[in-house]
Amino acid sequence: MKNPDAIVIGAGVVGACCALALTNAGLKVLIIDRGPVASGTTGAGEGNILVSDKEPSAELTLAIRSRDLWFEIDTDIGGGFELEAKGGVVVSRSAKGISDLKRLSALQKVNGVEVIELDGAGLRKIEPHLSESVDYGVLYPGDAQCQPMLAAAQIIRAVKKRGGSFIQGENVVKINANAGSITGVTTDKNQYASPIIINATGTWAGEIAKLAGSYLPIMPRRGFILVTSPAPKIVHHKVYDADYVANVASSDADLQSAAVVEGTASGTILIGASRERVGFKGDMDISILRQLARQAISLFPVLADIQLLRAYRGFRPYAPDHLPVIGPDKNIAGLWHAAGHEGAGIGLAPATGDLIAAQITGRTPFMDPSAFSPVRFKGGEYVAV
Amino acid sequence: MHNVVIIGAGPAGLSASLAAAAAGAPVLLIDSNPRLGGQYWRMSADDFQDQHNQHFDLDTGLLLINAVKARKEIEVWSGAQIWSATNKDGKNTLRIIYQGKERIVNTENLILCTGAYDRTLPFPGWDIPGVMTPGGVQSLLKGHGVLAGRRVVVAGSGPFLLPVAAGVIKAGGSVVALLEASKSRRWLTSFFVLLENISKIKEAFYYIKTISEAKVRARFGQAVIAAHAASNGELESVDIAKIDRNFRIKKVQNIKCDVAAIGWGFTADTSLAGSLGCNQLVAKDDGVVVWVDGEQQTSIPGVFAAGEITGIGGSDLSMAEGVIAGISAAKFVGCNVEVLKAHRKRRAKRQRFANALIRAYPIKPGWKSWLKDETIICRCEEVCLSDLKHSINELGATDSRTAKLLTRCGMGLCQGRICGRFVVDLVANELNLSPTDTDRISAVNRPIITPIPLGVLALGE
Repeated sequence: MKNPDAIVIGAGVVGACCALALTNAGLKVLIIDRGPVASGTTGAGEGNILVSDKEPSAELTLAIRSRDLWFEIDTDIGGGFELEAKGGVVVSRSAKGISDLKRLSALQKVNGVEVIELDGAGLRKIEPHLSESVDYGVLYPGDAQCQPMLAAAQIIRAVKKRGGSFIQGENVVKINANAGSITGVTTDKNQYASPIIINATGTWAGEIAKLAGSYLPIMPRRGFILVTSPAPKIVHHKVYDADYVANVASSDADLQSAAVVEGTASGTILIGASRERVGFKGDMDISILRQLARQAISLFPVLADIQLLRAYRGFRPYAPDHLPVIGPDKNIAGLWHAAGHEGAGIGLAPATGDLIAAQITGRTPFMDPSAFSPVRFKGGEYVAV
Repeated sequence: MHNVVIIGAGPAGLSASLAAAAAGAPVLLIDSNPRLGGQYWRMSADDFQDQHNQHFDLDTGLLLINAVKARKEIEVWSGAQIWSATNKDGKNTLRIIYQGKERIVNTENLILCTGAYDRTLPFPGWDIPGVMTPGGVQSLLKGHGVLAGRRVVVAGSGPFLLPVAAGVIKAGGSVVALLEASKSRRWLTSFFVLLENISKIKEAFYYIKTISEAKVRARFGQAVIAAHAASNGELESVDIAKIDRNFRIKKVQNIKCDVAAIGWGFTADTSLAGSLGCNQLVAKDDGVVVWVDGEQQTSIPGVFAAGEITGIGGSDLSMAEGVIAGISAAKFVGCNVEVLKAHRKRRAKRQRFANALIRAYPIKPGWKSWLKDETIICRCEEVCLSDLKHSINELGATDSRTAKLLTRCGMGLCQGRICGRFVVDLVANELNLSPTDTDRISAVNRPIITPIPLGVLALGE
């Protein structure tokens, strides 16, 4: 494609959603990725679309809008990515955990999230295999799930059908600018001119910022997911321990994990979620797999007899304040960032794309985007982890 | 003295165990089958009646098996499943489910003899009950004394079709067709190779005798290209076709049968070696095998490999490699022992024969033309060819890994052991590319080597 209106770097779900929002706003968009579609963190995700795991904040506002946008995109592009409004169930078994969960869900309710408190009997009515040891939980009917790789691929397919293009297997080696304004990118194979670049490279977004002579403190936070053999429907919702919410917000470098258990359309059960800051270390840590298995079985004892088939790991992109980075670069005009969604990238992608497109085209955004602005980071050396 | 840990108790593993033990190294022999012998010397019970019927050379097998049992230095774990193997700081950790519990074995000295399994190719109807692999038919015969069906079609390519056809006949079944896809009898022309491997020729004639006495004639340049089910869902008939040099269909005929045993040679089971991080390479038959040096040592010092996982070559080559691996591993742990010239000579001779066979039974790309859009490609996840094409042409997959993740092809219970190899070919074909070695090697990558119950995983340390 010659002279696109905008170039999106990164063919993960965030890049795809940015490209779709811009395309639907009438721009000619070129997506570039060094690998195939969804070959980064998107391909290693569970497909969470959650409103349950966020404290009332700008991020919750983003999540609520994004959740609805997923269903609009589903209609817009004709589906094909296993979007399911399955609902989430958050449980807790400690007195403190329960009181925290009660407080959180009450606040969420005030902010427009549908919450339904359940006792043990109520829980086992909707999740018959849930452990007898659980007698308090909250059902979030708004939580949803999709197959994230298919989502990215289907959205990019729609972008292409609407006049955009996708180039894969080209690595961006240079961000071109003139007098502080973007003019295009140079890859290891070609050069592309455009006044607008969207950096949607997730965990690797800091590197692109650095290429442009700017700065973005995005770092990897490793997570493992267990995948079981296909089983009859055992887990009906996304069920997770309230500790997960605390872990998401934590800045601890050590390993943290809380059981997140869910069934998928294909019958497999996904078990997460561990978090640790170990850089891009890719080796299989068996002790983490064991811990995840133990936590999952403590929620659903029947899982003890289900076979583990695969385990994979991914690197969540996180910023020091655990908020996504969405908005214009403070140093270079025409460079936009859409990255750093940590473990919530799938859920937050459509609203991210919407905010980016609104700001680029001058439309009034659905919310004040300043909380996500890259301007919030003080400059300094970019340090690769 | 450290233990030498040997994985797999087929011809290679048994030979390696005896060689290492004879050199003075204590051995731990770990095998997934309930009985020693591997697939080649699979038997139905320890107190067997005469099972020579189903074997060309059971005597050698019994000799090795009894010798292994008799040696006090060899500890045997049968029926043990290794679900994870990792290498960290020079130490190999094996996580094993044995007698219902998980055991952890840490060792610096390993010999991998994990063997091979049938190579399959998809075709319309290959998922119908009654369509089997030759190895599956043979396992039933050898392991349980069960004949899979009365009227059997044996087809595919490679010398392994002969013992399976002969086994069916000896068990009282009728081979209604014996089809070898390859037309070439080129291996008959490698006179020198034949001469130095006269025992292999004897073995072939042993099977051919049984087959010809049953008045079955092998047909060359023919293949099963489709299978059809009866109303009860089970196999009723197959379409057999004359095929050209490139495996393209020329003329089709339908024949009735209860079972079709179809195989295209073998795929080495390198998952364990791959998990440890041993270098793998793509062999002449496009299969992935483990790289070894002249001492049978892999790219990881102290980790050796022998038998089919270093290249498909049959039981004689496996035994020759096993002996060298056993001696090398014993030497590695400090035993005063050397690999003899005679050992190397024997291995070289068997290797030449194996190479001649691989040249004689090439699998040509025309098999892809047998498929229809609705043909199942991944049986576990029920993915058909059109799904795979859709992932490439519509969803933008440009490599087999992405196509797999978008379709779930190869992500089911068999962990891609059945379809993984040919999916790489199908994806590349749709993209008009040749598969790269990286494509082929990444298709056999399995961090969880065999499925493990979450409850067992949770109990481990």
